[in-house]
Amino acid sequence: MESHIELSFEDIRGKQHATLIHFIGDLDATNIELVLEKVFNLINEGTVNIIADFKQLRYVNSTGLGILLHFSKTAREKGGCFKIANINENVYEIIEIIGATTLLEIYDDVDEATAALT
Amino acid sequence: MTTQRMEIDIQEVPESEGVVILHFSGDLTSECVRRINECFSAVGKKGKTYAIANMAEVTLISSAVLGEFMGCRKRLIEEHGDLVFCGLDLEMRTKLHLMGATKIFRIYTDIRTALNSYKWEIERQPEKFHVSFPPYLKIVPPLRQLVSRIARQKGYGNRDSFRIETIVDEICNNAVEHGRPKADDLIDLTVIIDPDKIEIDVRNMSDPDKVASLTAMLLPEKTDTDKPKPDVKRGRGLSLIKMLSDGMSVECTDRGTSVRVKKVREE
Repeated sequence: MESHIELSFEDIRGKQHATLIHFIGDLDATNIELVLEKVFNLINEGTVNIIADFKQLRYVNSTGLGILLHFSKTAREKGGCFKIANINENVYEIIEIIGATTLLEIYDDVDEATAALT
Repeated sequence: MTTQRMEIDIQEVPESEGVVILHFSGDLTSECVRRINECFSAVGKKGKTYAIANMAEVTLISSAVLGEFMGCRKRLIEEHGDLVFCGLDLEMRTKLHLMGATKIFRIYTDIRTALNSYKWEIERQPEKFHVSFPPYLKIVPPLRQLVSRIARQKGYGNRDSFRIETIVDEICNNAVEHGRPKADDLIDLTVIIDPDKIEIDVRNMSDPDKVASLTAMLLPEKTDTDKPKPDVKRGRGLSLIKMLSDGMSVECTDRGTSVRVKKVREE
């Protein structure tokens, strides 16, 4: 049984080509293809500024973290950004151990991440 | 209404010297207080400090007897033991609850559960379980969650349980992805947990070339500079296991490749 993951999308008011994605569930090797497809569809449609709300993201493993880094790189290459907000401390620890806190843009909450959008 | 005479059968537990199982039956009325007191004195003299009172055949517990049990428990606790109950039916359990006894006594469903609890808490014996599963990624999430829940149930904290979940996930995913591509080769997950640490062993039939690279990854000279580049989507699992655990080893035999990880309880 694949891990449950749900993504819901919301336009960010007053910001162009910007979308807030709420991640709900667990992000791991069983569902990264689904997440990759949904996020890249969004990027291919012109959204280059993404804020990922991790308030309800319970779990991320190394494979899930790999695609977050991939999103960040792709968004930057297209002149945008991939920011993460509301991360729980367990997930943050995994990101920290991998040494990815300097590679990902992490904010305390969505408001702070939105304010940082150019 | 006639009362049913109380009987007490004393059963020793060969594998746990300090434990005695007392099988009570009948009505435990106030007239039984003295016999119960004598029974506990007798087992105390034999060096038994942990008493499991099996109440499956008990039809009544008077408040006087409950008071006597409290006194007996106090004496056992002074000897670093305890008196616990098991086998109570719902009605009896409800009565004990109303009398406030469930806040004092630990109550187990059956003798086996009470004994396991003793072995875990007092003897600090590890518990072991084993699962064999086919090499499919989708089987890994429920397995990792199962191990994490067991750790939590055994008193491990949220942070430790999460780390254990991650370790199980990463090793099992590795075994699925790098094992010999033959669907009928099962992967064996063995977990040994005690109050201080958890050991996780994952065994599968691996490609010899992949085993060599896996072993190389464990060399102490492997440092942060060996981490995958930021744009690489995979290849961080082993680094993560190494950082989260307190020891990792790889063993290759004719029976397959075994990756063993030890995680010490921190909370």
